[in-house]
Amino acid sequence: MVNEPVSTKVLIVDDHPTFRSTARLLLESEGFDVIGEAPDGLSAIAAAGELHPDLVLLDVNLPDLDGFDVAARITSVLGAPAVVLTSSRDSSDFGPLVHRSGARGFIPKGELSGAALTELIR
Amino acid sequence: MSSLRAALIALFAASVAMAAVMVALVVSSDHEDARTLTATLGPFIGLSFCGTGVFAWSRRPHNRFGALMTAVGFAWFLAGLAEANDPWVYTLGVYLGPLYFVLVAHMLLAFPNGRLETTAARTLLAIGYLDALFVQLPFFLLGGDITDPTNAPENAWALVDSPDSAQVFQSVSQLVAATLIAWLAVQLFQKRRIASPPQRRVMAPVLWTGLVLSGALAVAVVGQLFGSTNLIATSPSLVSLITFAALPWAFVIGLLRSRYSRAGAVGDLVERLNAQGIEGESLRDALSDALGDRSLALAFWSRGSERYVDAHGQPVDLPPATSRSRAVTEIEREAVPVAAIVHDAALLDEPGLVRAAGAAAALALENERLEAELKARVAELQVSRAKVIEVGMAERRALERNLHDGAQQRLVALSLQLGLAKTKLRDDPDVAERILDGARVELASALEELRELARGIHPAILTDRGLAPALEALASRAPVPVEIDAVPDGRMPSPVEAVAYFVVAESLTNMAKYADAEYASVRVLRENGYAVVEIEDNGIGGADPSAGSGLRGLADRLAALDGRLEVDSPLGVGTTVRARIPCA
Repeated sequence: MVNEPVSTKVLIVDDHPTFRSTARLLLESEGFDVIGEAPDGLSAIAAAGELHPDLVLLDVNLPDLDGFDVAARITSVLGAPAVVLTSSRDSSDFGPLVHRSGARGFIPKGELSGAALTELIR
Repeated sequence: MSSLRAALIALFAASVAMAAVMVALVVSSDHEDARTLTATLGPFIGLSFCGTGVFAWSRRPHNRFGALMTAVGFAWFLAGLAEANDPWVYTLGVYLGPLYFVLVAHMLLAFPNGRLETTAARTLLAIGYLDALFVQLPFFLLGGDITDPTNAPENAWALVDSPDSAQVFQSVSQLVAATLIAWLAVQLFQKRRIASPPQRRVMAPVLWTGLVLSGALAVAVVGQLFGSTNLIATSPSLVSLITFAALPWAFVIGLLRSRYSRAGAVGDLVERLNAQGIEGESLRDALSDALGDRSLALAFWSRGSERYVDAHGQPVDLPPATSRSRAVTEIEREAVPVAAIVHDAALLDEPGLVRAAGAAAALALENERLEAELKARVAELQVSRAKVIEVGMAERRALERNLHDGAQQRLVALSLQLGLAKTKLRDDPDVAERILDGARVELASALEELRELARGIHPAILTDRGLAPALEALASRAPVPVEIDAVPDGRMPSPVEAVAYFVVAESLTNMAKYADAEYASVRVLRENGYAVVEIEDNGIGGADPSAGSGLRGLADRLAALDGRLEVDSPLGVGTTVRARIPCA
């Protein structure tokens, strides 16, 4: 947190409202600026285009699109935000998919913290 | 004596009287050269048609063939009026002379069921009747010459004397007749070609005689058309006369031939069955040979699934009763269905024959039925085994999804909340306390979801205490009052208890979601080797068992135990779910 400017703008994408609200609370308390939330892949892509976040915290299991596909589409444009994938599953469940999607990395939901995010997007 | 029988006897008596008139006319005729031959052959032909026609009519009152054959006999006698010396009667005889040709064509085309099956046949006959009765009428009215043979009376119907004009009508009539005869031959060939083997065997003598007759007539008509002889006023050639006389007897021969050959074939079948315990394909072949029907197929009654299956145990549909080409004869043994013989509809002419062949083969059919039933059972088990695996996989998928979406998410949130609380503990203890309160609620929810999930996998109370306490626990958690009316004392096999429990659990879940019921009742009874589980509610009804995956999965689980699920859910009355599980 200390090394990251407080103005880092974050978009949280997850279909579980409990996670979204807890993650928002956690990240805001660590100096991040949560500028939006999206419950599924299509609205995440739309919100990323409209809100221009610096970082998208993206759940892998979404009700419509696969999180890896959403990451690939968000990162395919010029000046795209950094994408960090997250899931209640472990990264070993996904093999090389995280790397191929264009995301900066993966954080298990239970280990989410501002420091972990900063480490990945530095 | 039935009225039909009396009428037919009267008809035959009339034909005898007409035969007597014919003999008298021939004997006294001034223009008949071969009196003895004609006085013998003429009545013989007429009586042959009338006799066999009346016989066929009495045997098959609904088949017009007998009536047609009788009509040919009478038309023949009417043509015999041409032997009269009286000019008016003579002219009438000559005029009606060709009518029996058309009736013979009608009879041949309608053979053997008495119906004209094709438009071509109907067209041919319409033209034939028109030609015989109307086209040649002007020939008589215009004073056409009918004085051949020598000494024959004059044309008594001549209104004007214009023999040349009359000749035109005669030529047209002859040309039409020649064309029709050729067309008749073509149609008889086609009739034979499309007939099934059993039909062909019955039809052969009549059709071949008919073909020879039309050939002979064609030669005669063409000869007369290009020669000088008057067709209308002269008798048919000797060949066509003999062939014509043979027609009714060809019909009788065809009948006897099929009957005797079939009776013999059934005898052969019994011998074949006794000599070697034949089965399978060869049993079908033996029946096919006996009945002369190469298309014959066998279906076996499966008592387990209460439907017909083939020799490989696969379900088969029998041809409908309305089928005109295929027919079904069901074979029973000790009043229990054994098999169905699917055969050519032509064999229905003698229903007793197929039944006799079936009865002769009943024991072999019963053996074959048992084998087919076994195969059907194996096929059913393969399907239900596959379904059980499918249901198992679906349940595992659902379990993973429930864990991921439920307890796992709550534990994730809990982890985040604990981390957050930790960061706030020193700086802002009040906020940390609120976060920890939220975390406790999250933890309690996670625990409840895990409990629910564990019950869904297999309730511990069912294993430990049995069905009755497990159902009472289910009832106590239901959102509306549920009464447990009856549960058998003592334990049942654990697979039966488990399926019974899940039938009740799924039904109560569905009731809570969709039925809008005020109360429900549950009964579990043991009846005749079955555990019968019944769940009844007073909701809105209209439940569709095929719509929900829950009930479908239960039906598959029940099928694996040989059980059945029934859902009775009339709109506005409520829903009754009934499961029958074999439970020895």
